[in-house]
Amino acid sequence: MIGKVLIHIFFITAVLSCVSFFLTHLGKEKFLKFGRLFYHITAVGILSTAAYLMYLILTHQFQFAYIWEQSSTDLQLPLLMSTFYSGQEGSFMLWTTMTAIIGIFLLNYVSKGDRLEPQVMSVFTLIIAFLGFILILKSPFLYVWEKFAGDVEYGYIPAEGRGLNPLLQNFWIVIHPPTLFVGFSSLAAPFCFAIGTLMKNRYDDWIKFSMPWLLFSGMILGLGIMMGGYWAYGVLGWGGYWAWDPVENSSFIPWLIIVAAIHTMIAQKRTGGYKKTNLMLCITSYLLVLYSTFLTRSGILGDSSVHSFVDPGYEVYLSLIVFISLFTLISIFAIVYRYRNLKALTAGTNKMLTRESTLFIGSITLCAAALVILAGTSWPIFSKGSIDADFYNKMNLPIAILIALINGISLLLKWKQDDEKRFFKSLIFPLTLAFIVTIGLVIIGVQDFLIALFALASLFTFFVNAELAVNAFRKKNSSIGAYIAHLGLALVFLGIIASSKYSKEENLSLELNKPVDAFGYRLTYMGATPFEDPNNKTDIKYHFNVRVEKDNKELVLQPVMYYSEYSKGLMKNPDIANFATKDFYLAPMGLVEPEIFSEDEMHELKKGEERKIGELTVQFSDFDFGNIQQGGKEIQSGNYSIGALLKVKDSKFIENLEPKIKYTDGTAEYMVAKISGNDQYSFYFVKMSVQGEDLGGPTATIAIVNKKNISQKPRTDETLVLTASIKPFINVLWTGTGILVLGFFLSILKRRKELKK
Amino acid sequence: MSKKSKTITGILIILVFLTIGFMSFMDSKIEYVNFDEAKNRMRTVEVKGQWVKGKESKFDAVTNTFSFYMVDDFNREMKVVLDGAKPNNFDVAEAVVAKGKMKDGYFHAKDVLTKCPSKYEADGKEVKMSGS
Repeated sequence: MIGKVLIHIFFITAVLSCVSFFLTHLGKEKFLKFGRLFYHITAVGILSTAAYLMYLILTHQFQFAYIWEQSSTDLQLPLLMSTFYSGQEGSFMLWTTMTAIIGIFLLNYVSKGDRLEPQVMSVFTLIIAFLGFILILKSPFLYVWEKFAGDVEYGYIPAEGRGLNPLLQNFWIVIHPPTLFVGFSSLAAPFCFAIGTLMKNRYDDWIKFSMPWLLFSGMILGLGIMMGGYWAYGVLGWGGYWAWDPVENSSFIPWLIIVAAIHTMIAQKRTGGYKKTNLMLCITSYLLVLYSTFLTRSGILGDSSVHSFVDPGYEVYLSLIVFISLFTLISIFAIVYRYRNLKALTAGTNKMLTRESTLFIGSITLCAAALVILAGTSWPIFSKGSIDADFYNKMNLPIAILIALINGISLLLKWKQDDEKRFFKSLIFPLTLAFIVTIGLVIIGVQDFLIALFALASLFTFFVNAELAVNAFRKKNSSIGAYIAHLGLALVFLGIIASSKYSKEENLSLELNKPVDAFGYRLTYMGATPFEDPNNKTDIKYHFNVRVEKDNKELVLQPVMYYSEYSKGLMKNPDIANFATKDFYLAPMGLVEPEIFSEDEMHELKKGEERKIGELTVQFSDFDFGNIQQGGKEIQSGNYSIGALLKVKDSKFIENLEPKIKYTDGTAEYMVAKISGNDQYSFYFVKMSVQGEDLGGPTATIAIVNKKNISQKPRTDETLVLTASIKPFINVLWTGTGILVLGFFLSILKRRKELKK
Repeated sequence: MSKKSKTITGILIILVFLTIGFMSFMDSKIEYVNFDEAKNRMRTVEVKGQWVKGKESKFDAVTNTFSFYMVDDFNREMKVVLDGAKPNNFDVAEAVVAKGKMKDGYFHAKDVLTKCPSKYEADGKEVKMSGS
C-alpha cells in the first residue's frame, strides 16, 4: 500500500509543480514558490519511495511480486541492493530516482541568477510526472496475489525469492546500471535548457550555464557505456567489449549527439553562430534517450538482441509511445512557434579554415555516426530482419578517421580567421611524428589501408593534443581539460585498432594434463575444482584450472563453468591474464567427457543393411517407434524411447534383438540387449539419424561391446575446450577511457569557474 | 564559411554518407526466412524456430562446432551446424534464431540466439513452489 500511495503522491505533486512553474513562466510570479515547494515534495516523495523499496528488498518481503522475481535470501548485500534495478519495474524506479536527485541540483542551480528557472523546471517536472505515470502502470509494489491473481491466494507470502539472474551476478551490476542511469537522467537537463530557452525566446546566454550539464552528461554516460563494455569483455565472455547490440547502441547514440552539441556550443560561445544547431542537438539527445528506452523496453527488438527484452504489457508500451510523441511534439511546437525568431538569428563567420567551421563539420560527422547506428538499430522495427554487426564497423571506420583528423586540425586553427601559413606550419610537427609511428606500425604488420589511415589520424590528433596539453600545463591554462579528453579519445581509437583488428584467436582442446602450445604459451588443463560462491548457494561452480607457462614463468588461469538451475543451462565466465602490452584471454566453451563407446565399437548401419562385424553378422531392419509418431510431439519434447530392430547371426544361431535408447529431457540412456545364453557381447543403440534418401537414408548407430576387449581399451580423459586469444594493447583502450573521463571532469571545473566570474 | 557554402558542404557530406550508408546497408541486411527460402538465398539470413530436443545434438571439439536439429515455424526440419559451443540458455530456449547460410544440405550458423521469455516472466505456480 505505502509504495503505491507514495507513487501517486509524487505523481500529483510533480504535476502541480509543473503547472506552478508554467504559470510563473506566463508571468504569475507568485506561483514560483509553489513550484519550488511542490518540486521539493516530489523529490522527497521519490526518494522515500526508493528508500521504501530498498527497505523491502533488504528485509526480503517476497509478498511483493517484483522482489520475489528478482531477489533471494542468499544474495550478499551489494548484489541484494542491485536487485533494486535488475528488473523492468525497478529500473524505471532507478531512472526516476536519479532524475529526481538531478532535479534537486538543477533547481538549486537555475534558481541562482537568471537561468530560466520557471521554463526549465516546468519541462523538467513534466518529465518527472511522466516517469511517475509509468511507475503507476508498472509498479514494483504489486503483491504476488495481485500479479498472479488466480494462481496465488490473497495474503500468501513466498518463503524464498526466485533470485537474481546468474548472468547479472557480479560486481558490474552494482555500478554499471546506476552510472548509466545518471547519464540518461542528466540528459534531461540540456533538453530542458533548450526548450526553456525557446519558451523565453532568448538564445545567447543559455549555452553558458547549460555547458557544465552537457559535460557532466557526456562524462557519466561515456563512463557508463565503457563499464558495460568491460562487463561484456571481462565477465560475460563475449570476447570483445563492443558487440553493436541494440542496448549498447541505444546508449551510445545520445552520447554522440551530446558530444556534438558540446562542440557546436563552444563555437556558438566564441562566434555567436550555430544557435539553431545547438537547440536541435540538445533536444534530439533527450528524445533519443526516450526512443532508446522505447526500443529496449518495449520488447519490439525481441528477436535481434542478446539482451533479454520482455514485453512490458500494452499499457506501458502505449505510455512509452505517448511519452516520446508528447515530448517530440512539444519540441516541434516550440521550434515552429519561434520559427521567425530563429530564422532571424545571425549566422557564423565566413572562413572555411577556422576553428568554428571545423568544429561544425566535426559535429556533423558525429551526427552521421549517430544516424548510421540509429538506422541499423531501428531497422528491425520496419522490416522482418536485422542488420549484420559488420555494417556498423564498415560505416564507422571512415567516420572515425574523419573525426580524428578534424579534431587535430580544428585545434590547430584559430577562431574567426586564420593565417594559412601559420596553420600549415603548425601541422608539420604532429603530422611528421604521426607518419613516423604509422610507418613503424605498417612495418610490424598493419597492412590494411583504412586501418593504417585510422592509426595515422589517431596518432596525429594524439600528438596535436599532447603538445597543446603540455603547453597548457606549463602555462596553467584552464583549457587543459579539452586536450586531455581528446588525448583519451586518441588512445581509445588506438586501443580499438590494436585490440580488435589485431587480436589473435584459436580454439583449443586441452586434454587433462597434456600440455598444448598456443601463441608461445604452454597451456595445461589441470582439472576442475568446485568453489563456493557466497551469492549463489543453489549451483556448484567450477574453476577450470589452466596452467599458463612461458619462459619459466607460470600462472594459473581459472575460467568458470557451471550448470545454472535458474537458467537451466551452462554458464561460462572467462579468465584473463593482464600484461602491460596485452591480455591473454581464455573463454571456456565446454567440457567433453570421455565417450562411453569407443570409435571401433560403434557401427552406423543403413536401414536394411547387413554387415559382418567380427565373428557376428548384424542386420538392422527397422526402428521401433512404438506408438509415437515420427517427428511428433514426444520427439520434440525429448521424452521418449525408441528401439532398433536387429537380426544377429553367428555360425551357430540367429537371434532378433532390440536395444533401446530412452530419452529424458533430451538426455539419452542406453538399454542393453544381449544374446540369450551368451554374455560376451552387449548391444546398444547409440543414435538414430533420419536424414532423407538424398543423404543416404535413415541410419542407426549400434555399439557392440566385446567383454574380452574392455580392459585393453584406451580411454581418453576429459577435455576442456576453450578459445584462447591475445588482445594486444587493450590496456590502451581502458586507459584512454579513464583519461577521456578525466578530461571531461577538468572541463566541467573550467566551465563552472567561468560562470562564477 | 558563407551560409551558402556551408549548406553545400553539409549537403555534400550528407549525400556521400547516405550513398555509402545505403549501399552497405543493403549489403548487411539480414532477412528472416524459413528453411525453404534460405535454400534460395546466397546471403546470410536468419531462421527462427525450435530446437528438436529428441535428436542428436553435440559439440565437436575438433571442428569447434555445435550441431543440432531445428524446425522452423513452417515445421521444416534442418540440421544446423553452429561455429562455436552450445549457446547459453540453449536447453531452456523457447525459440532459437539461427543466423547463417545454407551449405551442403545443412544450415551453417555463425550465431544462434536463444529466446527464453519464460525465464523472466514467472507464473503463479512458481510462486507457490518457491522456498518449499
